[in-house]
Amino acid sequence: MDVVLLQLLTGLSGASSLFLVAAGLTVIFGVTRVVNFSHGSLCMLGAYIGWTILTHLPRDPAWFVAGVLLTAAATGLIGMALEMTLLRRVYRAPELFQLLATFGVVLMVQDITQWIWGAEDLPLPRGRWLRGGVEILGGRFPIYDLALIGVGPLVLGLLWLLFTRTRWGTLVRAATFDREMVSALGVDQRMLFTSVFALGAALAGLGGALGLPQASANLNIDLTVITDAFVVVVVGGLGSLVGAFLASILIGVLQAFGVLLLPQATLVLAFLVMAVVLVLRPNGLLGKAQATARSASIACLVRPAPTALKLFAMAALLVAITAPFWTEPFLLSVLTEALISILFAASLHVMMGPGGMPSFGHAAWFGIGAYTVGLLVGAPLPLALPLALLVAGLIAAAFGLFVVRLSGVYLAMLTLAFAQIVWAIAFQGVSFTGGDNGLLGIRRPGWALDAGNFYWLTLGVCLGGTLLLRRILYAPLGYAIRAARDSAVRAEAIGLPTNRLRLAAFTLAGAAAGLSGGLFSYAKGSVFPTYISIGHSVDALLMVLLGGVDSISGPIVGALAYTGLYDMLLRATSLWRLVLGATIVVLVVAFPEGIAGASQRLWHRVRPT
Amino acid sequence: MLRVHGLNSYYGRAHILQDLSFDVAAGEVLVLLGRNGAGKSTTMKSLIGLVRPATGTIRLADRDIAGQEPFRIARAGLGYVPEERRIFADLTVAENLEVGRQKPRPGLLPWTEARLFALFPNLGPMRDRLGCRMSGGEQQMLSIARTLMGNPGMILLDEPSEGLSPLIVEQMAHTIVALKQEGVTVLLAEQNLHFAARVADRAVVIEKGRIAWSGSIAALQQDETARAQYLSV
Repeated sequence: MDVVLLQLLTGLSGASSLFLVAAGLTVIFGVTRVVNFSHGSLCMLGAYIGWTILTHLPRDPAWFVAGVLLTAAATGLIGMALEMTLLRRVYRAPELFQLLATFGVVLMVQDITQWIWGAEDLPLPRGRWLRGGVEILGGRFPIYDLALIGVGPLVLGLLWLLFTRTRWGTLVRAATFDREMVSALGVDQRMLFTSVFALGAALAGLGGALGLPQASANLNIDLTVITDAFVVVVVGGLGSLVGAFLASILIGVLQAFGVLLLPQATLVLAFLVMAVVLVLRPNGLLGKAQATARSASIACLVRPAPTALKLFAMAALLVAITAPFWTEPFLLSVLTEALISILFAASLHVMMGPGGMPSFGHAAWFGIGAYTVGLLVGAPLPLALPLALLVAGLIAAAFGLFVVRLSGVYLAMLTLAFAQIVWAIAFQGVSFTGGDNGLLGIRRPGWALDAGNFYWLTLGVCLGGTLLLRRILYAPLGYAIRAARDSAVRAEAIGLPTNRLRLAAFTLAGAAAGLSGGLFSYAKGSVFPTYISIGHSVDALLMVLLGGVDSISGPIVGALAYTGLYDMLLRATSLWRLVLGATIVVLVVAFPEGIAGASQRLWHRVRPT
Repeated sequence: MLRVHGLNSYYGRAHILQDLSFDVAAGEVLVLLGRNGAGKSTTMKSLIGLVRPATGTIRLADRDIAGQEPFRIARAGLGYVPEERRIFADLTVAENLEVGRQKPRPGLLPWTEARLFALFPNLGPMRDRLGCRMSGGEQQMLSIARTLMGNPGMILLDEPSEGLSPLIVEQMAHTIVALKQEGVTVLLAEQNLHFAARVADRAVVIEKGRIAWSGSIAALQQDETARAQYLSV
């Protein structure tokens, strides 16, 4: 019994930290409609800044509180600067571009933090009061954790007062509902947005600093915290503070007991909860249906490529085919990976562009394909590769049944949850996936051992696959899929089964990604859980968004540009994340329609139709 | 009060407003008449800055407001009551009014909650009711009251009589007359000539984004050809 109680208390104190970060995220989303990926980075900055401040202060509770509050204020200022320099410029950009821009910030903050504070974990020297505990039912419970349990409800109460009892709070709630009307009534939205962002950032910093006594400041905080906070916010319902509070208790307590009962499944647990909640309540526990009429501009039908572009593509293809005769082996392997990226990115394009379903976990399908090949040791390549496609496609079809009922951010989050579950299975299922060590020794058959031959195989499969996807998108099925995206109601009214069409797009995307994953296993000779990581899903998103979501040439250009950029950066500088992050941010601000979209616009400006 | 000259607005490539020019005198009620899609709402949105006009000048009390952000135009003294009312559904009546509140304007008796509840007697008893729990007519009243909280010297009323019962329309006409007596300048967009004739001094008729007719409201009532050509459905 006492074990249960102690574990419950541990869970509740964890819930408090979770809530602080999630509250900031949900408040920011509510007003600005930006899903702030960099929120975890703000929390990490809070931990590091808090460490610096607290190590310079006397070690007693009053100074601790002062130091933590000072940290929150500092993080708030950083948030304010972030909003004024970057976010303000992307409010009108599509949702995923905002997500991408804030992910650029994540990369930059990682390198900046490492540059300032170093790569070592920084534990907070614990004063005597921090080590104190209280007797509860015969067990000893840390007094700090007990105090932390009170912080969550306290902050919830203060926020509630702020939002209901002040003019500022009333304006914020009004802006959450209808920003344009608020500005037509004479309210300066920029001030409102900046202050909301500063508040959210301060909450994240507070959470980061308060977490210091339990875990040191380290460079993994950002992504760990942001995934947890996403789960909490989505389970609670986007924009709902009370929902976030309930969800953080649910997740916190569940994780505390999960560690005790199912240590192998801890990573999966939170995401499993999120998946179940989203399937039962598509808008989260207390969330309201999101207004769908966000995108005023419906993507224009892309016209056939102009002759010049076709000639250019033919020339590029000729160069690609002859590559093994004139390149060095290293470049050939980079090109092979680039080709695989093209198919991977094109498959995501099918889902995101024409399908209208943004995915944050596309690496799941890539990984399933890769592990299919990895686990089928001894199966010949001509059998294993189609199986990679088939297995990924079948799982996508089954999982898609749940996904296609959602839309927008919720859909993206469910795909993220699924990818994390697949990742956790690969990572924790050591007995058959090899866990962190991966599966090694995947051998290509004799004829494909030669790098040139394998390159040609990859070229054929990837370009063939991409062109086939393009063919499908311009067939009646593709038009129907786009109709379902542009107006589900009208599509239903003319007899199109919209959910089945979305499922078709989802399955198609999953199968194609699986095929690219299978090829990747053969190219590398090994499979690792990192193939399914969030980072890899983001890679795919970057490729598609860099290139442009409006046509299939987008992912092709994007995949090539991204692979090239990545490879170049990795070799040129140790601060590659900083440079990559800054590049992403600049690209999003400068070309919200992607490289292909921007060059198409320039082309039409030069040669008016 | 308001001088509009050579106003052009676009939605994408569609040229919606074409060279609109008109003046509204201080203390006057001017009605903008026209069929659905003639460009009445776009004119209103261009004036308040929700649609950015491509060319043209808009002077409000001798201050150029064309191309400014909506909040600056609102603070300059132009109030906007949208056609869809756009009440904040999660906020109470009192909170909706609070969002509209701005500093008092010199020379104008500032609007307070009490004065607005006197002007709209229905709203007083439902001070703590949520916006989403109000009828269409009540929302329309609240929308006007909310805009008045900003103490505007002039307000834009976009089809305030649309979709309301005859009794409420009657009340709305009284309200506009009362506002005029308070010294508020009004630009009204309407399809309903009978309603317009009860409250307006002058009329500007627009058709396909151009001004087709302008003159006093009495002249319009007598000009049967103009009415048949531009207003009858």
